[in-house]
Amino acid sequence: MKIFFISLLSILFIFACSSIETVDVQETKTVDLTTTSSNESVDSVSSIENLNIGEPHSRVYFDYDDDTLREDSLTDLLSISKLMKENTNYTLLVEGHADERGTREYNLALSERRAKAIEDFLVTSGVSPFNIEVVGYGEEKPVDSSSNESAWSKNRRAELYFIK
Amino acid sequence: MIRILILLFLNLSLFSDLVLEITESSNQPIKIAILQKNENSFEGQEIINIISNDLTRTGEFDVLSPDQLLSIPMNESEVIQRDWLLLDVDSIIFVETKQSEYALDINYSIFNVSYNETEDKRRVLGLPDNIRQSSHYVSDGLYEFFFGIEGISSTKLMYVAKNSNVYRLMISDADGFNEQVLLKSNKSIISPTWSPDAEDIAYVSFENNRAQVFTQNLASGKRDLVLSSNFSVSSPAWSPDKKYLAFTSTMDGNSEIYVIELKTKKMSRLTENFAIDTEPAWSPDGKKIIFTSDRAGSPQIYEIDPRTRIKRRLTTEGSYNARASYLNKDEIVFVHRNNESFNIAKLNIKTRDLEVLTTTQNDESPCIAPNGNVIIYSTKDGNLSYLAGVNISSKVKFRLPALYGELKEPAWSPFLR
Repeated sequence: MKIFFISLLSILFIFACSSIETVDVQETKTVDLTTTSSNESVDSVSSIENLNIGEPHSRVYFDYDDDTLREDSLTDLLSISKLMKENTNYTLLVEGHADERGTREYNLALSERRAKAIEDFLVTSGVSPFNIEVVGYGEEKPVDSSSNESAWSKNRRAELYFIK
Repeated sequence: MIRILILLFLNLSLFSDLVLEITESSNQPIKIAILQKNENSFEGQEIINIISNDLTRTGEFDVLSPDQLLSIPMNESEVIQRDWLLLDVDSIIFVETKQSEYALDINYSIFNVSYNETEDKRRVLGLPDNIRQSSHYVSDGLYEFFFGIEGISSTKLMYVAKNSNVYRLMISDADGFNEQVLLKSNKSIISPTWSPDAEDIAYVSFENNRAQVFTQNLASGKRDLVLSSNFSVSSPAWSPDKKYLAFTSTMDGNSEIYVIELKTKKMSRLTENFAIDTEPAWSPDGKKIIFTSDRAGSPQIYEIDPRTRIKRRLTTEGSYNARASYLNKDEIVFVHRNNESFNIAKLNIKTRDLEVLTTTQNDESPCIAPNGNVIIYSTKDGNLSYLAGVNISSKVKFRLPALYGELKEPAWSPFLR
């Protein structure tokens, strides 16, 4: 029966000249990551995987399309630097974020540069680079998802977390 | 059996996220009627409904409903010309359906009212359980006949639906039917893209709390992490021959563009610069890559030859130009900052002619349909993202709002032939 079906199909395809369209069926499969806590097939070596880190220790804000540190954030960063040099077993996770304006991928790169700017400052002030981890989230995790300057200025930020 | 099928369709349309609204129609839509030829059947009517819906969705056709008609001919010889001239109808489409256990055979002809003769006859041959896709091929054939541009009703859309912090990477027919979930995650999914043969997809997933690129086979659901890493990997783009994947990574400390040969995993770095380099896209012939870089102080589009590494800047107008893709070898489409709003714009590389195509704000993620004539993108209304689109030649504009939640990151499939 199946062979008959296939041969009939191939006959149909042979008949199909340029003016005739033949139609195929496409099947797809779902992958669900929300029901399992770990990812089965994929090996990941990310050290910050599945970390529940709660509220950030502090936030640093940036200007539009800019990754330079503002003067008003330097005092905060210096006290973090001091804290880290006194407690060398601390690891600092720096998450960079962007506002929604512009493209997602550019914002991802921009947010990572913001996190990196903080890392560079801390390393220059004497903190070991091995105790700092940076990650960019782009515009994916806004604090405020409205579309106005007040929301955007809150979203252009880096969040600093201490992890053991 | 038929009843179950109908229920299934009803369900799909109830839960379908993609409900299309034409926001700006064509100035001169082509007026047509679509009729069953020789005999009326349930399947025949279903096929005509799908075609009518497809053509209406383009915004470039005015498809008359049966109650608007003055006479209903069963074939070309029964056409009373003055009835149709009176209604100002351009053409009558006669559709004849033959369905057997093994095949669905649709023959259609285009009858020109003013010439009073058949202009073209075409045929679509499909499997009997695939009425919708076969009908979409008829729609595409008709679109091609009238506009000389390939139709896209038979293609698919991929997009990310976000609903109460659950992200679903979805795929559906271009008309929103047959929605399927490819990936469901509690973390953000961005930059989905199709392989040139439409068998695989690539995307960025934050499931491990960092941007990583995965490829996924559509039929098996098998996923591969492109680079296992402690740095971000994003913005995947398949080469037109499917051998290479271009991407962005910070593996060397700064956001740079790389190309990996998928079979050998051999990698090469294309950019070397302290600025942001990202969003690579291949030219149609696979010989050039365009990308976004802020090396001159603001994000602009550059083009690079991957072999010679020779670069040139393409955009000069405006303080923000990003996420470009080639419309054809001479034109690119990208996100352009226009005063305070971000719009989708088109640039002719040769003439330097810049055209802003959209009137919405906060536009991003433009994606070109495989016929090179429709652009779909995501934009925002209040706090919610939805999809919108624009037809380049007819200027028809449309939107695809989500019934609930948000839609973003659209990716149009290649032709599925």
